[in-house]
Amino acid sequence: MGKLRIVHYINQFFAGIGGEEKADHKPEVREGALGPGLAIQAGFGGEAEIVATVICGDSYFGENMEEAKAAVLEMVKGYSPDLFIAGPAFNAGRYGVACGAITEAVQAELGIPALTGMYIENPGADMYKKSVYIISTKNSAVGMKDAVAAMVPLAKKLVSKEVIGAPEVEGYLPRGVRKNYFADKRGSERAVDMLLKKLKGEEFETEYPMPDFDRVPPNPAVKDLSKAKIALVTSGGIVPKGNPDHIESSSASKYGKYDIDGVYDLTVDTYATAHGGYDPVYANLDADRVLPVDVLRDMEKEGKIGELHRYFYTTVGNGTAVASSKKFAAEFSKELVADGVDAVILTST
Amino acid sequence: MDLENQKRVKDMAEKYGAENVVVLIGGAEAESAGLAAETVTAGDPTFAGPLAGVPLGLKVYHAVEPEFKEAVDAGVYDDQIGMMEMVLDVDAIVAEVSAMRNQHTKY
Amino acid sequence: MVKEVERAGIPVVHICTVVPISLTVGANRIVPAIAIPHPLGNPALDPAEEKALRRKIVEKALNALTVEVTEQTVFEK
Repeated sequence: MGKLRIVHYINQFFAGIGGEEKADHKPEVREGALGPGLAIQAGFGGEAEIVATVICGDSYFGENMEEAKAAVLEMVKGYSPDLFIAGPAFNAGRYGVACGAITEAVQAELGIPALTGMYIENPGADMYKKSVYIISTKNSAVGMKDAVAAMVPLAKKLVSKEVIGAPEVEGYLPRGVRKNYFADKRGSERAVDMLLKKLKGEEFETEYPMPDFDRVPPNPAVKDLSKAKIALVTSGGIVPKGNPDHIESSSASKYGKYDIDGVYDLTVDTYATAHGGYDPVYANLDADRVLPVDVLRDMEKEGKIGELHRYFYTTVGNGTAVASSKKFAAEFSKELVADGVDAVILTST
Repeated sequence: MDLENQKRVKDMAEKYGAENVVVLIGGAEAESAGLAAETVTAGDPTFAGPLAGVPLGLKVYHAVEPEFKEAVDAGVYDDQIGMMEMVLDVDAIVAEVSAMRNQHTKY
Repeated sequence: MVKEVERAGIPVVHICTVVPISLTVGANRIVPAIAIPHPLGNPALDPAEEKALRRKIVEKALNALTVEVTEQTVFEK
């Protein structure tokens, strides 16, 4: 067999085209390896070559999923590769979703062995880990070397149709697959062993980790908007100009609570965004585009809603740990309840 | 190392010759200093910038390393860097940067 | 964050562009937005048109808050 032919998918940033201002880049294909593709190709040590790299802007993919998927699939098809690799996306949310979506599509519609890689908290991970192999990576591109080191062996196994081992062994995110196997000890013995360890306060490993469903049932609807107090919350990082509390542009460690009493419109001089994960130019010129204060104030004046709550809560969703955003929201929700807020509009970018 | 600086380093190495360039790093953290050192010697380890896959092998030092400290005026060094020297994890920084230099610097 | 607000007993509607993400994180009332850098705006329109567009989305969101739902629901056009 000659060299394995790979097609690689990356975003506009790793292709060197640009940052957020180029996130609307339409799908294009270039010959050979680019950016991280160089590392992946090197990882195969001459056994494979990346014949083409497909590039697509993260926002373009997120906003035009069907068309983008179709366009990328056509490009991949044209090269008849033996293997398809997307990313790795680390903690970049839109990129992870794109990688997961396109890897799933290539696998399902083109029947080509495919895999991708991203950080466990990437939204793309939960969305696609059941259908595609996602190598577990660090939360930033600093983990590129390790990611490639894990992706290459798994890729080779996928191509040669070898049996793929357990997630902990091969390095991919658990897919929820159950495999029967024969254990040395019978179940009752293993259960007693585990119980003894637990009683002694020793470490033990469960044979069946409970899945984390964590769905919250919807609350009853608002009966009368004209009497309701509506509060605004955003993950889009809208803050008073100058970001007085220094909310980080990525991996936020805090949230802000700001008073909009008497504020009827967010302007370029008074509000801006602290979020580093999307092109800030539009939000900076008019923050109402992310936090719709102007429209809600109008509706308040017209009596369509009872009242716009005087405080809004904001943080930056870019790469912020799930546990952090959970903590922030649990905390400020208590205040919302205490302040008699009837409903919340939460905006995200 | 951010993309703009990667480009600047690359351009300078091309213009003046890699053997004639020394990169001096001033970052406050060992990990990022190590990454910057790796970037200008072995190539951008994140494969996101102009030095992705481009191992320039340049000489690289951090401002708190003894090689630099001993090469400059002690009084000026104390003025400019003395304060930071007390606050930074100098050992960790030296370890990270010199490791990269020893492994990947060609000159 | 959406789940925590819901957990506190307050009905919440999520306006966001990438609806699949909103579904995955568990929002119950979802309204699709315009675009990632400007979910409630469109710089290509003139200011009056843009504000009217923003108003439409907010009205859809407020309406979603008045609708009883039993499972995750996306309030499309």
